[in-house]
Amino acid sequence: MADQTAERKMEAYLGSLRQRLRGMDRENAREIEVELRTHIKDKASANGAMTSSSVEAALTALGSPDEIAREYLSGYVKSRRRVLDGLFRRAGLSIAGLTVLLGLITGYFTGAALILCAILKPFHPHAAGLWLLGDDEFSLRLGFGNPPGNGKDLLGWWIVPVGFAIGCVLVTLTTRFALWCTGQYRKSLA
Amino acid sequence: MQDIHMNETANRWEVQLRKGCLELVILAVLADEKLYGLEILKRLESGSELIVSEGTIYPLLSRLKGLGLIRSEWVESHGGHPRKYYSLTALGRRRAREMAESWNKLNASVSKLLPSLAITGR
Repeated sequence: MADQTAERKMEAYLGSLRQRLRGMDRENAREIEVELRTHIKDKASANGAMTSSSVEAALTALGSPDEIAREYLSGYVKSRRRVLDGLFRRAGLSIAGLTVLLGLITGYFTGAALILCAILKPFHPHAAGLWLLGDDEFSLRLGFGNPPGNGKDLLGWWIVPVGFAIGCVLVTLTTRFALWCTGQYRKSLA
Repeated sequence: MQDIHMNETANRWEVQLRKGCLELVILAVLADEKLYGLEILKRLESGSELIVSEGTIYPLLSRLKGLGLIRSEWVESHGGHPRKYYSLTALGRRRAREMAESWNKLNASVSKLLPSLAITGR
């Protein structure tokens, strides 16, 4: 049976690590925490019950939360960079890859344009926005140049919250889609 | 003063060398069986003279998984703790073979030069 001080020390360490892994996606960070908790428990109870000093020794051997988080995060950033590299390579190899790449470019481009439009609306209130130009012709304008003569600004000031929210959702969904595609690609190699 | 600087440089070189081999030896110990983090550490400690810091091994496993060289699965232990077991993927097996070949070639070519170093050494 573990003493409470031992448990508290372990949880304080893991809590501190959790704080430092905030830049990572939740599922990844949770897996790291579970894996390290098991490691600490295994090490600290190798010679019997888990005690405060055995936990202390296990944590010292593992290194500070700062160091371990830094190692995890540097690998994580590199892995994210590889996502796009992998997709570009895949695009060169297959029609499916090319379709995925075009989808990603469209998703990021539209998301970024909506966010930019929302940001620029206060600076160009009469020209920036989502415009209806003809019967069914839409145009997302950032506000540079004159406003279209016979067009209608569909959202007005609503472009600020709506454009920003939809833009952020699009960028997030596109990133998730990119990660999912990379996962499928890795599975196909394994 | 110069001696201290020389020792530091030598230590740094040794650390980098060990770090460079770590990826290969992890893939090697996973070649035949599934192992969890602490088991991998124990294998490395008992089967080699590599001193591996515990805080290094888990992020490295995570990186190798990200590269698609190893996969992981959670298994409930007898004590009730979930353990993450790692094993090689087909890509990892291929990469491990390539790395082992490069290692052997490098070792052989460097070894050819070492005897002359011993003769002319201080």
